[in-house]
Amino acid sequence: MLKASVVALMAFMTLPTVVVMVVSFNPTAILSFPPSGFSWRWYVNALTYPQFQRAAVNSLWVTLGAVALALPIGTAAALALERGRLRLPTLWATLLLSPLVVPGVAAGLGFLILAASLGMIRSRAVLIAAHVALVLPFVVRSVWVSARNLDATLERAAASLGATPWRTFRRVTLPLLRPGLFAALLFAVVVSVNEFVVSLFISNRLTEILPVAMYSYVVNYTDPTIAAMSTLFITATFLVIWLADRYVGLGRVFLHHR
Amino acid sequence: MLMRLIVLMLLALLVAAPAAEAQTALVVSAWGGNWKDSLEKVVAKSFTAKTGIPVEFEVGGTIDRLAKARVAKGNPLVDVTFTTSHVGRLYISDGLIQPLDMSRLPNAKDLAKEAIRSEYHIGVWAYVYTVVYRPDLVKDDITKWSDLWKPSLKGKIAMPDFDPSHIITIAALMEGGNETTWEKGQKKLMELKPQIAAFFATDAQSQDLMKTGQAPVQVMLSVNAYHLIDQGIAVKLVQPTDYPGVVGIDTMTVMTGTRKADAAYQFINMALARDIQAELVKSLKASPTVIGTPVPANLAGQPGIFVAPAQWKEKGYIINDEVRAKNLPAWREWFTSNIVKK
Amino acid sequence: MKLLLAPALAVIALFAMALGCLFQYSVLEFIPGSLKTGGFTLANFRSVTAPQYLGVIWDTVWLAAATTLLTLVAAYPVAYALARTGSSRVRSTLLVLTLAPFFTGAIVRTYAWILVLGNAVITWPIPMLFTERGVLVGLVHFSMPTMILMLAAGISHIDPLYERAAASLGAKPARVFWRVTLPLSLPGIVSGSLIVFAWTLSAYPTPALLGGGKVQMIATVVKDRGLDSFNWPGAAAFALLALAMTIALLAGVARAGARAA
Repeated sequence: MLKASVVALMAFMTLPTVVVMVVSFNPTAILSFPPSGFSWRWYVNALTYPQFQRAAVNSLWVTLGAVALALPIGTAAALALERGRLRLPTLWATLLLSPLVVPGVAAGLGFLILAASLGMIRSRAVLIAAHVALVLPFVVRSVWVSARNLDATLERAAASLGATPWRTFRRVTLPLLRPGLFAALLFAVVVSVNEFVVSLFISNRLTEILPVAMYSYVVNYTDPTIAAMSTLFITATFLVIWLADRYVGLGRVFLHHR
Repeated sequence: MLMRLIVLMLLALLVAAPAAEAQTALVVSAWGGNWKDSLEKVVAKSFTAKTGIPVEFEVGGTIDRLAKARVAKGNPLVDVTFTTSHVGRLYISDGLIQPLDMSRLPNAKDLAKEAIRSEYHIGVWAYVYTVVYRPDLVKDDITKWSDLWKPSLKGKIAMPDFDPSHIITIAALMEGGNETTWEKGQKKLMELKPQIAAFFATDAQSQDLMKTGQAPVQVMLSVNAYHLIDQGIAVKLVQPTDYPGVVGIDTMTVMTGTRKADAAYQFINMALARDIQAELVKSLKASPTVIGTPVPANLAGQPGIFVAPAQWKEKGYIINDEVRAKNLPAWREWFTSNIVKK
Repeated sequence: MKLLLAPALAVIALFAMALGCLFQYSVLEFIPGSLKTGGFTLANFRSVTAPQYLGVIWDTVWLAAATTLLTLVAAYPVAYALARTGSSRVRSTLLVLTLAPFFTGAIVRTYAWILVLGNAVITWPIPMLFTERGVLVGLVHFSMPTMILMLAAGISHIDPLYERAAASLGAKPARVFWRVTLPLSLPGIVSGSLIVFAWTLSAYPTPALLGGGKVQMIATVVKDRGLDSFNWPGAAAFALLALAMTIALLAGVARAGARAA
């Protein structure tokens, strides 16, 4: 009974994915089921569409920038929360996690108005800054979980053996934080690459990232090019997740083990 | 090691961030889908071949692009904008486009006077908004605007939600008024409400609704209807016998503050050349704006394909541009509150 | 040590500035047709309470509630299987299948539903695309991964001993579920439902692409007014409304949770 319902539900979850993949090979712009043939043309179209190419490059820079900034900032904050003996730890924690609570449209509009008032509407810097803010809560949370399970005695041992604080951090703390850091990296990349609503408000044709470019395409065209793009996305994602599970065991990241 | 990686990334960031906006391309703002494809194939290709300047397109809906242009005022992201004749007036009142120097547009000498919409914007092609439907999904033939109110069409109609000008005008005409006295048609419009299955915000959505059969009857742009036929969906365009189709004229403009005015003028001039106009007619299945443009026999006289601009007034209904631009916000507001909202 | 907190706080401060701009604009007068604003006014908030917008707010709340409920019911079996399965293969499969859609992004997933709901692949007896039920399906599918993960995390905290004890005392499986498992998994249910409800309140791509203009939610109104009509003050007022609702919701349930604890 349980098994049947789980299978049915997983089928529901994966049905759209399957449909998209099948449609992406449809030879014509008019869709039919079963498909009338097989064609790579939409993949060719997707990969050669200049706006997608530009958007992919933009996504790369924006995500790279956001992650490069958010990881160290978030790790520092997580350590401060755990070790800093702060007076109002819950207040600081809530503040750091607050971007999660704000609706995307509110943040997007706010950043747009802020950028306009600073005369920076076209800059990629605002886009990256917004991504850092959106990604930070995930980083902080993931690293904090690891930091909480950190046994301070190991670091104290290193210090007592003569290691400088920086050396201790680099050789003892960081490696011990690895699961949290890995989860943080994973979340940060995924959230940034897929960020849509806020980016829709603050990017333009030159700076827009991939999800925004894809949205523009869906709104303007009815051919299955986006199905091809989606399939590429889905394939890449599956690979990443599968690898992550194989080498790190995602179960440990998400579930509690007894 | 990790430290070095981070520093490297940050440096790369600083270098990439003010990133290359050294665009030498001419940027043209136009509608997407088949519109952009035609412009690209017919005009942009010849333009780039002749001048060596690449052309990039910024696509989107009429009002979307107006909003973007407003944000970029004075420092435009695009050089040439294609927009509808009445929305062109909104561009003018916002100071977004510059008066056209006709001496830089030699091909405009053959431009029909009906196509010169103002000092700032000139027509490039025309079409009609009419009733388009799928005969395979609709039992009785549709021959006039008033057929839209027939009970057999309940829940089968779709129309644009971003510009209700056409249906508002037709409803007004039916009640003895026109676009200026549009309130006369309000009751008739309320009667139309149950007939409507969906509204579309974009051309793509309208095509989807037609393709899937969810809204097999639509108030649609003739060019989009022909595009559907090209894609293999058999739709029929109506030449309504009670009131004519509503004429739409798309125009070209040059943005204020563009740094590529020369290229912009060359592009516009190219689009007015007779051979280019003839190609646009064939590609879009629209009406030319330049007098003497040859229109193929199989297309001439079809809904939305007028042989000469003089026919626009004879065979179609042209909504007064100024009235339309002025009333558009009120029309949108009324339409959204009363008709779109369920 | 406290210095380590500073960069993060700077980022949050920037975010707060963006929200501050929102507050500022919400009380400025909208001048139609331009980016400039007039003086202080409460007109934007008053317009939010106009009947058509109240309708939108109600629709959004209703849709969010329906989505949360349906997602909860659909996600529970999967979450239970995920948390309780002994086989690491099954767990991996379920995790990968659950997480993958989560990681492919809103546009990809919404577009997929445009295809499925759009009669091109499956012919539906009643129209699905561009209707409220179509949007509901899309929203439920969108929320499933989150709900599954939160529920599974909660269920995995329950000591199976309780369930075994109840069974050994003669309770049938259904009874064990209703009287032991479900109540003990309540924290997971609450946190999962909270998050799904809050996110759905502000959902944008799903109603925008699947709703065809007929399904208006708070987020689509903000986008329409903010990016299309160019009414930044009006859009700001609405956006703040969405923010206030989300915060009130989270605060309210957090308090209820604290009292229950």
